[in-house]
Amino acid sequence: MPTIQGSDVHKVVLACEAGMGSSVLLVSTLKKRLKGTNVDVAHTPVSRIPADADVVVCHRGLEATARNVAPDKVIVAFDMFMGDPAFDRLVEAITGGGSLEG
Amino acid sequence: MTELLSDDAVRLGLRATDRLDAVRQTGNVLVEIGAVEPSYIDAMLQREGQISTSLGEGFAIPHGTDESRRFIRETRLAFLQFPDGVDWDDDRVVVCVGIAALGDEHVGVLARLADVLVVPEQAARLRSADRVEDVLAILQAPLKESEP
Repeated sequence: MPTIQGSDVHKVVLACEAGMGSSVLLVSTLKKRLKGTNVDVAHTPVSRIPADADVVVCHRGLEATARNVAPDKVIVAFDMFMGDPAFDRLVEAITGGGSLEG
Repeated sequence: MTELLSDDAVRLGLRATDRLDAVRQTGNVLVEIGAVEPSYIDAMLQREGQISTSLGEGFAIPHGTDESRRFIRETRLAFLQFPDGVDWDDDRVVVCVGIAALGDEHVGVLARLADVLVVPEQAARLRSADRVEDVLAILQAPLKESEP
């Protein structure tokens, strides 16, 4: 599985199926949590994950699709839209250092 | 320019027999306000069947699929409130925020919704609102950078 150091993350992409619902809703929340870092946060339909994304965040149900589309990227999957520990893990790795695997 | 969330797209005190009925009603409002073609509703039902759009706190955000963007005429939102609640997998949903989006125009309102949902009393106010203007006031308030 791909691994990345938190300090090497420059762009996090939130992916959902249509790219118009949950990924949009989550963008601002994650942006706020990563304020003060130089990490860019964007959202996209899962079928169009951009090449410059370092980490892809998506719902567990889309994880397999995301891996197909972006096999070389670290995928962080979550189960709950709000309060999922996966978001903490991501923010912690970026702000506190550490590696992300997935 | 039309408001993203206009007063005619806010419907309070509704009833739905089940989750699919609630999604269908949400789609119907998007059709009524001219945001989408009727075929978009089928995509909303299909999308809901894949992964639940329930967010927690009694809110769901039904919307179509990537493929169904061609049925969208303009980016608009709808707000449907079902005070009795609707069974939604393991959740109970009271508010459906229907989404039809071509671009990123709705990022601000959804960001506001995300902020509201982490403040329990604000979320409760939306769930129990009985005036359209109260809903609009909460969701259209400017975003404050300092908010948690």
